[in-house]
Amino acid sequence: MKKTIAVLIVVMTLLSVSVCASATTLNFLEVMTSPERTALLKSMIAEYEELNPGIKINLISPPYEQSDQKATLMLNTNQPLDIIEVRDYTVKQFVNNKKLTDLTDYVNEWSDAETLTPVATAAATTVNDIPYLVPQSIFIKALFVRTDILAANGINDTPKTIEELVEVSKKITNPAKNQYAFAWRGKSFEIKFADLFALPYVEDFKNAKYIYSEDESYFLDPGFKEGMEAYITLFKEGVPKDGINWGFNEQINAFVSGATPFLIQDPDAIPLIDKLLGPDKYEVVTLPVGPHGFSYIDYGFCGLGIPSYSKNKKEAWDFIKWMSSPEKNGYYNEHYGPLPVHTTTFETNEHFQGKHYVAYDYEMNHPEQFLFVTYDLASEKWPGWAKIHETDMQSVLLGKMELDTALQKWADYWQK
Amino acid sequence: MAIMVPAFVFLTLFVYFPIVKGVVISFQNYTLYDMTNIHWIGLDNFRAIMTDINFGFLQIIINTVIWILVSLLFQFLLGFILALLMKEPFRGRGIYSALVFYPWALSGFAIGLIWAWMFNGQFGIINDVLLRLGLISNNVGFLSDPRYAMVSVIVANIWYGVPFFAIMLLAALQSVPAELMEAAKIDGAGPVRRLFSITIPYIKPTIVSTTLLRTMWIMNFPDIIYAMTGGGPSNSTNILATQMINKILQFYDYGQGAAFGVVIMLILFAYAIIYLRISATKEDATI
Repeated sequence: MKKTIAVLIVVMTLLSVSVCASATTLNFLEVMTSPERTALLKSMIAEYEELNPGIKINLISPPYEQSDQKATLMLNTNQPLDIIEVRDYTVKQFVNNKKLTDLTDYVNEWSDAETLTPVATAAATTVNDIPYLVPQSIFIKALFVRTDILAANGINDTPKTIEELVEVSKKITNPAKNQYAFAWRGKSFEIKFADLFALPYVEDFKNAKYIYSEDESYFLDPGFKEGMEAYITLFKEGVPKDGINWGFNEQINAFVSGATPFLIQDPDAIPLIDKLLGPDKYEVVTLPVGPHGFSYIDYGFCGLGIPSYSKNKKEAWDFIKWMSSPEKNGYYNEHYGPLPVHTTTFETNEHFQGKHYVAYDYEMNHPEQFLFVTYDLASEKWPGWAKIHETDMQSVLLGKMELDTALQKWADYWQK
Repeated sequence: MAIMVPAFVFLTLFVYFPIVKGVVISFQNYTLYDMTNIHWIGLDNFRAIMTDINFGFLQIIINTVIWILVSLLFQFLLGFILALLMKEPFRGRGIYSALVFYPWALSGFAIGLIWAWMFNGQFGIINDVLLRLGLISNNVGFLSDPRYAMVSVIVANIWYGVPFFAIMLLAALQSVPAELMEAAKIDGAGPVRRLFSITIPYIKPTIVSTTLLRTMWIMNFPDIIYAMTGGGPSNSTNILATQMINKILQFYDYGQGAAFGVVIMLILFAYAIIYLRISATKEDATI
């Protein structure tokens, strides 16, 4: 008996050693790190590992504030990485540095690619029309409205145009009662909000390739100035002065408290607002359009790519393919917050059929009214531009700089 | 000799190599955006940061000087007063000391976030208290008004830095011989005279070294400002250290970021030499 047990132990040990030896470990670096999302990723990785016994995935989760630097450092020093989270702000840099694999061959043989949303397809091929990543999540903006606060102020319709939004904001603002209108964004990419008001006033923008680039910008167009003036009026007559220093947290706080019943945000704000306010006290409607009947969707995204020097590209692609399937991607975004990348998810996943997602679905399916256009992230003028804009915009709002001066300065900056 | 090898290796690897590397980068076109195009560009990075139309160098220097001087002055004064109060034994001194020293244990970024909420112009507790006391009639935009933004970040920094002086000066105060104080008292010296003629001269080496160290740390400390205002509004709280971080995190420009680092290093180097020379001269004169 003892002999049998001893033989069994030896056999088991040898087997386990051989299994360990043949297992492939994939190093996966995430960058949009948050405790909740890391836990979600870990649970999905565990499921994948169970389905694929020969694969082990080592998730690396640096703190969000340092994650882009960590990704750049790891790639540039060829540290062992097989899967990397790439996002709109980093994809060009990684491609420039020759650190991402061209996924064309993999994507061509991937059947689920057919159901990618147009925005997701555009996101995948942002650089040189080559798919260097498979998007996992899409971020676009819509207007959040506290209908209860509007009703208390005698307003029963949600604004459809920028002009209406400004007018309603003027009407309900009453500083004596601490009632304001719009959850302003004063720092940390406030540019994405200012441009949303200015560019829909530019008629020619309908044909724009980029929101602006070195080839084409609209700062000196009279329409742009008109849109900026509407935006500044909104600040002066519908926002607490403190808004100049507001970031994401302050925006959410102002909306949830009811101080500002209008908020423009991405869908990942929905789970947070649901938690703080409850899902029934607000609506999400499409972005207000400009005088020419359109607005635009500046889509943000994050996705998965394979480092060019990875030795496990096939295995890495298999994991990316699994994560990017309509079912898994729907599950992932349902729990993370942004929009999924497959059209079918909006038809099959109950969560994304919910009332707060209807506006996003509408925006993505009406490109004539909500143009798909993004910043020229590939331009060398892009890094730091948001900080320059933020400083100038604050100066304009504080009366330290004329609007015309700022517009001329921006036009000069973007000139070739 | 062999006993010095570990320290030498450690310093070379973790102190001198990064410094030299930083200086080298400040003379290079070195952006994360295009790491395949790193090359020497002479003094271009220094020229660029000094002539930047978006972030005026002179204003950044003035902001830095105000940030350091006011923070240091109040941190020192309040720390000294606290140390004097805690010198004499009293019941619960241990717990009281722990409470006083607590801010020093927190991260600068966390402190910035806490104070940003306290100074929030719409929902902040400071506005609420001032309104209830009738000291203001409308909310004050502490962090959105350039007139108050620098004051606000400095208040947070003072709160953070007081414990350091309290700890260091308390230790020094406890080394002042009791007999000396007794003798002065018998000779008729009042508390103010004893403070200026005995206590301060006695603990002067600690005062010199702590103020020197704190100046360097405050200058190199962007955390609070970065979390509270990001250098705004309209550059009103932008100091050398925050602009260095901006150049790296927002512009991906390590070359210009390193140039700011070199400027900070040179200023601190010059400051340390002058400061030590002045304090040594005064000491000689006293002797």
